[in-house]
Parts: sequence; structure tokens; C-alpha cells
Amino acid sequence: MNLDDALHTFIIEARELLEHMEEALLRVEQSPEDADTINAIFRAAHTIKGSAGLFGLCHVVEFTHVAESVLDLVRAGKLRIDSELVVIFLAVCDHLGVFVTQIVEGRTPDAETNRVSVELVSKLSRYLGPPQRGAAVTAVAAPEAELETEAGDGVDTDHWHISLRFGPDLLRNGMDPLSLIRYLGTFGKIVNIVTLVDTVPSLSALDPESSYLGYEIGFSSDADKATIESAFEFVRDDARIRILPPHSKVAEYLRLIDDLPQSELRLGEILVRCGTLTQAELDLALARQAASRDDASNPIGEVLVEQKLVQPRVVEAALDKQKQVKDNKAAESGQIRVNAEKLDQHINLIGELTIASAGASLIAQRTADPELLEAAARLSRLVEEVRDSALTLRMVEIGATFNRFQRVVRDVSADLGKDIRLVISGADTDLDKTVVEKIGDPLTHLVRNSMDHGIEAAELRLARGKPAHGTLRLNAYHDSGSIVIEVADDGGGLSRERILQKALACGLIKDDQQLADADICNLIFEPGFSTCEQVSNLSGRGVGMDVVRRNIEALRGTVEIDSTENVGTTMRIRLPLTLAIIDGFLVGVNGSSFVVPLDMVVECVELTPQETADSQGRDHLDLRGEVLPFIRLKQLFDIAEAPAAADVDDDADDEFDSATARKYNGSGHSLLTAEGAAALARDPELEFLLHPVKRENVVVVQYAGRRSGLVVDKLMGEFQTVIRPLGEVFNGIDGISGFTILGSGKVALILDVQGLVRRVAGGESRRNARASNYAIAE
Amino acid sequence: MLATQIEATGAQAAMPRKAVPGAVAEAEEQQQYLTFMLGDEMFAIGILSIREIIEYGDLTEVPMTPPFIRGVINLRGAVVPVVDLALRFGREARANSKRTCIVIVEVNAAKGRQEMGVVVDAVNEVLEVSPGDIEAPPEFGAHIRSDFIQGMGKIGGKFVVMLDVNRVLQVDEVAVAARRGSAETAVV
Amino acid sequence: MNALPNRIDILGEMTIAAAAELRRQLLAALAEASELDVDLSQVSEIDSAGMQLLVAAKREASAQGKLLRFTNHSAAVFYALELCKLTGHLGDPVLIQSQS
Repeated sequence: MNLDDALHTFIIEARELLEHMEEALLRVEQSPEDADTINAIFRAAHTIKGSAGLFGLCHVVEFTHVAESVLDLVRAGKLRIDSELVVIFLAVCDHLGVFVTQIVEGRTPDAETNRVSVELVSKLSRYLGPPQRGAAVTAVAAPEAELETEAGDGVDTDHWHISLRFGPDLLRNGMDPLSLIRYLGTFGKIVNIVTLVDTVPSLSALDPESSYLGYEIGFSSDADKATIESAFEFVRDDARIRILPPHSKVAEYLRLIDDLPQSELRLGEILVRCGTLTQAELDLALARQAASRDDASNPIGEVLVEQKLVQPRVVEAALDKQKQVKDNKAAESGQIRVNAEKLDQHINLIGELTIASAGASLIAQRTADPELLEAAARLSRLVEEVRDSALTLRMVEIGATFNRFQRVVRDVSADLGKDIRLVISGADTDLDKTVVEKIGDPLTHLVRNSMDHGIEAAELRLARGKPAHGTLRLNAYHDSGSIVIEVADDGGGLSRERILQKALACGLIKDDQQLADADICNLIFEPGFSTCEQVSNLSGRGVGMDVVRRNIEALRGTVEIDSTENVGTTMRIRLPLTLAIIDGFLVGVNGSSFVVPLDMVVECVELTPQETADSQGRDHLDLRGEVLPFIRLKQLFDIAEAPAAADVDDDADDEFDSATARKYNGSGHSLLTAEGAAALARDPELEFLLHPVKRENVVVVQYAGRRSGLVVDKLMGEFQTVIRPLGEVFNGIDGISGFTILGSGKVALILDVQGLVRRVAGGESRRNARASNYAIAE
Repeated sequence: MLATQIEATGAQAAMPRKAVPGAVAEAEEQQQYLTFMLGDEMFAIGILSIREIIEYGDLTEVPMTPPFIRGVINLRGAVVPVVDLALRFGREARANSKRTCIVIVEVNAAKGRQEMGVVVDAVNEVLEVSPGDIEAPPEFGAHIRSDFIQGMGKIGGKFVVMLDVNRVLQVDEVAVAARRGSAETAVV
Repeated sequence: MNALPNRIDILGEMTIAAAAELRRQLLAALAEASELDVDLSQVSEIDSAGMQLLVAAKREASAQGKLLRFTNHSAAVFYALELCKLTGHLGDPVLIQSQS
């Protein structure tokens, strides 16, 4: 690694650390006693200072040193962190960010930067009496400082850990641990389990009715601790049960290790095998124990240290490893950085591989050679797995993006003089990295908008019987192959009346136009709406919203509004999980193939002539008592009436010429000649013969909670679909979201279910901003 | 095959250059043209825009687009739009024959170059046309939008319309047409 | 000693109710052979007591320097072993049943 590379790494790390620091600072306001959070802040400053020293960045070292010294006091409990201090440290954070930027640009600090440095240092110094200052320096120099804090962190895994040891009489009392474990499986997922057999003696020494087996279980469940505990209610007297919630502190796991008998030295490794701890976490925990043993003057927490528990070899390895750990999260030491471009290249190649494999399968099917078929099936299974795992490489949690809003909300609410709290949920929902990168701006816009115009001033809130502080919620979850991101406020909601007034004034709608509630709200996304200045009392609500919608649509996503006056507004962004490959469901209509995203497919039902007759010419059917509206793709896409292009297809369905197909609406296979068919058509009694084996199927699809049907001829099954973008020529066509290449080499269209429904529902089309048939739509 | 034919002729390219009044600047650089038929009319496209010529087939229609957009084909893994030139010029649609071909051309687009296919009834040959034999487009009478015409080449004693493919297949225009087609169908 | 491995079949339940009897039978069978195949195809049910019998039998055999194999795991045994992730520990090849 040359110096430039190293500096580059430093810059990346410093930015990450600053992000963590900012996050922790925002968190610490709510829980000033939380040692983990304080440690995280300290660690960030400490690490930046240390690394800056390596590169001789003296101004960074000097500045950070002062900040770190103050933090050290906080950490030692000698100074309480309050909001005043948080404000100073946020400024410190920003200032360090400025330093980093200057380093990137190869500049030395300018006068302004130095002025800020001096100002901040003087603010910080007020917290430092002369004696403490000296003490802080030594604390910094000690490498244990980092070790020590590592153990305070929660571990990375997000599942429960259950440790079970039973008394000898358990079985005799009629209890069976196996059934307990099965029972656990009914309300959660057993991620991993290690059965401890060490205590089972050999057969001759075995008491067949005594209980010997112990279990360590990694358990993933939404249930609360009480529910999990209740599973063991009947064995409690005969057992030692420990249940550790997700993200417990490393110290908790250490205690678990410590509490168990000596014969179970392997427990640490077992925890790793259960997926409860990562190897790095274990190493760090053990190393931390070792360190605390070495340095009696520096006791850590209340964790008991049993010397015999720590195997020297492990400690050595762990200490080695610790030296490499610069990042604050223990778990991250097990990760490597990969160039995003390389990753994309890799994923593109896998896309090609998927297509190639589909092609091979097709050829195998043609040969009908069982061995070849089997080989091809095995291959495509593997390709599918490779594809899935490759796509997860690019998936990241949305939490980091959400967390950035802590600062935004804090700053904006201070500017606005409103007390607004941010509540984040679903932070662990993951989505494609490319999507994450592009969603930040629209999200910022929506958040600011909600704070600016959604949440009312405190007096008005109180008058309306709401708490004085407003709440802004960021939430994310997965829904039918999409990720949904919600920005919700408990503010005043959108005023339908005022939107209508404004839209009318801007000429977006006509006087006599009837609009559904949702459509009224959606008007704020219209380009004309935001730029229209005629009505100003709606203030900025809507400014730039058309840009927000455009950005989201560019990601093949949608945005919708759910708003109740005086109660609040929820903006719901729906985005595809990934932009590259989807599981598709292949359907055929008159020899044309289409792909429906599999996540949206609920089921397939046959559309019998009887049902068609029952629907009295309307496009809906009775699906187990529910009205299911459907779309006839054949009609919508006008497939039979296409120019003679279809002739050249060697697809079996195109055996009769397009003239016949046109005339008789392409009713499937027919051996009739055109003349014969014409003759039949003249005879009303025999006319039905023209549709002899007409078999239609309805693919029931679901999107955003709404169900509808797509009427097709053929169901051709699942298909791994590598999405080819529409390209400049076709971009923006409603109802089609992309192309894909079939195993046969032919191009098929990927249907955009929502676009189709929108188109057919006659609702607003993007270009028909002044849609005139709203009344019909709903 | 046709593709090799083009190369063979291309290898012999060595024509003296001569500035011609009236001819578009770009035409001076291009001296080789592919001639092809739409019905009874002969047209030519500068060889530099042409990537290859493939047999007509395996075309996927894209619904809700204007008729002149025939659909898309898979060209070695890339999805390429195919335009019917006859329909683009407002001529009658004709049935495909054994000689129907798709000429793959490269045109300018907002995001770099874009490959597009054009359906032609038959491909004739690659000819060398001396810039001196190229006249400026007539103001009318060609029954084609005059901005589509780069010049009129004299080939075998007859005038042949030399197309400006970047204009004929202007991506924005085709795309707008595609979207308009989509919107029109929406109102059914 | 026999050249071919001896074989015993375990029939019915491998639960606490049968554990003592099974232990006796397994010990007896092991005493007579240097190699013993224990066929589990007829095991209808297994609980924790049965599972620890399997472990203990393996341990006994290795203590005696003999070879003991469990074969033809029935579905009940297979699922219990899978649930506890003990398949690997016992080290016998398990025929993965196709899901029916």
C-alpha cells in the first residue's frame, strides 16, 4: 500500500467515523447516561486523532486532542453531556469534516478554518481544568482505551440467543427438550443450534432416563422476551435457561461464558457457530478480558474474569486482530471493501450467465436427453443461487440513510423553532446500493417539506389537542418485491380545498372536474403546481415536489400521499428492491411473451367461457366471492392487429396467417382455412366452432394491496429475468418496465403491473395531467 | 454474407476528394454508401453509420407505440429498437419477403451512440459515390421530409436519396413518438 | 468374530419409555461384534432420550475400539437429527429423503 492509498483509506474511514460520531451525538441527547454512545463518540475522535498523527496532520491531531480530552471527562463520569455540549461537538464534527475535505483537495487550512478551530478549542477548553488536561493525554496514549470500549458495544447479530442446560430429572418428569425446540420453531426461526453432547457418557455409563444434552440456540423472532420465556415455563425448575436479546452487549455473552462450568470451554466457539457472535466479536471479547486481567488498575464493567477461561492462543490471535481493528464496530473487522464498479461488473456478468444458462436449458429440453436435462437443471439452480447471493452483495440497510436525518431534523427544527422528534423504524430493511444512493435527495426534500409545512407551530398543535412537539416518522419495509419508505408527520395534513383552489388557479384542473381525494393530493406532484405563484397562502408545500416524483420515477418507483386533515400526512415511496435481476413469471399471448414480476403474482386461475359469460361483457370475474377486475392483454396491446411482423416468428402459435388472426381475434389454435372460417362465421349456429380450444388464464397480481387480473393465453412458468432497460427510445412508456432476453434469444417485455392498471383504470396518465375521466376511474 | 461484402468493397476505398458546392460537409468524408430498396424506390445510407445487416426475424413487437416502430430485436445481448423506414416516410406498409433485412445503424443519442435497426425491403450493394456526384437535396418533390435527406446521389444515371440517418432516426423524435403512441392508447 | 458386520434393527419408539431396554440391547449387540450396523428405518419416534442414546452408543463403541454405524435413518430420526444439527456429529451418512 503506498501512501496515497493509505491516505485514501484514512479519508474514507474518517468520514465514516464522523458519521458515527454525529449519530451518537444525536442519540446521546436522549440518553446522556448511555456509556456505549459516549464511548462511540470518544472512539471516533480518538481514532481520527491517531490516524491523523500517522500522516503528520498536526492541525487535526491538535484540534482533535482537545475534543478528545473533554470526551474523556465525560466518559469518566466527571462531566455530564448536555445539549450545550452536544451543540459544540456537532460543530467539532463538522469542523473535522472540513479538515477532511481540505485534505482531499490537497489544501492546508485557510484563515477561516483556523479561526473556527481557535473558537471551538476555546469553547472546549472551558470544560478542561489544567490538571485534567494532562490526564487526558495519558488516557489517549493507552492502547487499552480502544479495547475497553469495544466490549461495551452491542454485538451485530439481530437474533436472540438461548442457552439451555437441564437438570438430570427433566426426562423422568416427562419433559422433552426436543419438543420445546420444535415449539420455538412455531413463533420464530431457529437460525442455528448447537447440541452439547460433551456430557453424554458412553453407553455403559449412561443412565438412559437422565437428561444430558444441552443446547445453544440462535433464534430469530419478533416475539418479546416474555413469550420466549413462556416456552420454557414448565421446565424452569429443572433447567438453567438464559435468554439474551438481540444486540446484547458483548459483556452479557462473556457473562454467559463465565457462568458455565469449566467443561464447556468451547462455549465461545459455540456462540460463533450459532451465529450469535462473529469470530471478531468473540476475539475482541476475549482479548478485552485478557487486557483487563493484565491491567488491574483499569477494571472493566462488572464482568468476572476467570483466567482459566482464556486460552492464550486465542488471546494472542485476538490481540493481533485488535491492532488491525481501526473501525469502531467490532463486526466490521470481518468485512472487506470492494470497489463498487467491480461489483457492478460482477453482477452484469452474472446477468449474462443467467441468460446463457436459460439458453442451455432450452437446448437441453429440445434434446430431451435426461442426463443433459438433469445437468441443465442443476446448473440453473446453481446459477440462481449465485445470482441471489450476488445481488445481496449490493444490498445495504437503509438505516445509515435514515440516521443522517437525525441531524437534518435537529437542525431544521432549530431553524424553524419547532420541537420535532424523529422516530426511525425499519432501519434494517435492505435495498440495492444504487437505489440508496439516489433516494437521499428526494427523501431530504420530503422530510424538510413535512417539517416546514406539515407540522404546525406548537400553539396551534396544542389548540388542536396534539402534543406540543411534532413527530416525524421514517419507516421502511418490504412489500411484494418493493421497498416502501414512508415519511410521516403528525401535522396539519393537506387541505383538499386549498389544493383545489390552487390547482384551479394554475389551470391544472377545470371547474367542473370531479376528483377523488387521493387524486387531489397527488396534484401537488404536478409540475405546474409548484411553480404556480398565483396562490401563495399554501406556502411552499409542493415546491419541488414534481422533481421528487421525477427522481423517484427514474428509479422505477412511485410516490403516493396519504393525508388526513389535522391528523397528518404520510408520503409513501415505493421502489424496486434491485435494478438488475428479478424473478419473473412468463406468460404468452398469441405467441408474444411477457414477463410479470413474480413477486406480484398471487395465483393463476383459468378463465372459463362460463365465467366470461357470467361477467356480462364486463372485465371482471368472481374470485371466490370477490370482484376481480382484469385486463385483457390481447386487447390492450392490440396483439392480433399488429402488422404482419408476427409471421416470421417460428413460434407454434403463429401457424395461421395474421389475416385470420386479425379477423377472429386470434382465438388460439385453429386448423381452419380463412375461407372455412369465414363460412362458419356466417352461420351463427356454428360460429362457436371458431373458438374450439380457447383457453385463457388469469394471472392474479397484487400491487400496493390492490388485486387485479391479467388475461393471457399461456402460462409458461417462472423465469429468471435479467432486466434490460427500456432505453431512450422507449423510456416512459406506461405499462412496460423493461426488456429481457429469453432463452430462445427472443426479446420479451417486462410488464409494469401498476402502469397497466393505471392505464386501464383510465386514471391519470403522466402526460395527461388534466385527465378528464377521474369520475370513471374510481 | 452481406457483412463481408461490405468489408471487401471497403478495402478498395480510395477515391480522390473533391469539394462540392451544396453537399453537406459530412458527405465529403463519406464516399461509400449502402443502397437499398423500399418498394421501388432506392435509398442510400453512408457506410460509416452502418454496423451490420441482419436477416429479418425474431422481432418482438412493443405495444402502444406508433406503427413505424416495428419492435425490438436481440442483437448479441443488446435490445435494439427497429424502425420501419417505409412507414417512417409515410409509405404503405408492405409484407415481408425473403429479401427483407434489418440494417443496424448507429445514431447519436443523448447518452452517447445508440444502435437502431431499420427494416428495408432489400439491400442492393455498397457503392462508391464521388462527392462530385452528390447534389443538394431538392426543396420538395422527394416525398420525404427534406431534413431527412443528406443529398441526392447520382448512381447509374439515376438520383438516389441519400439519407441523413441521424435525422431520420433522431432518438428524441422517435422516443417522443413512442410515448405519444403510449398515451394515445391510454385513452381507449 | 464375524467378517460381516452384525446388524440390529431398532423397532418402534426410541423414547424415554424404551430407553432402558434399548440401552441393554445395544450393549449386548455391541459385545458380540467388532462392527455393528444399527438400522433405524423402523424407528417411528425419537425424543431427547433416544438422541442421547445414539450419542452414547457411538461413544461406547469408540471406547471399545469398535465400529458402530447407524443406517437407514427413518424420517422421524432424520428430522430430529436435523432439528438438533446432530447429523454431522454422529458422522453416519444419512440418506436425504425426498420430500413427499
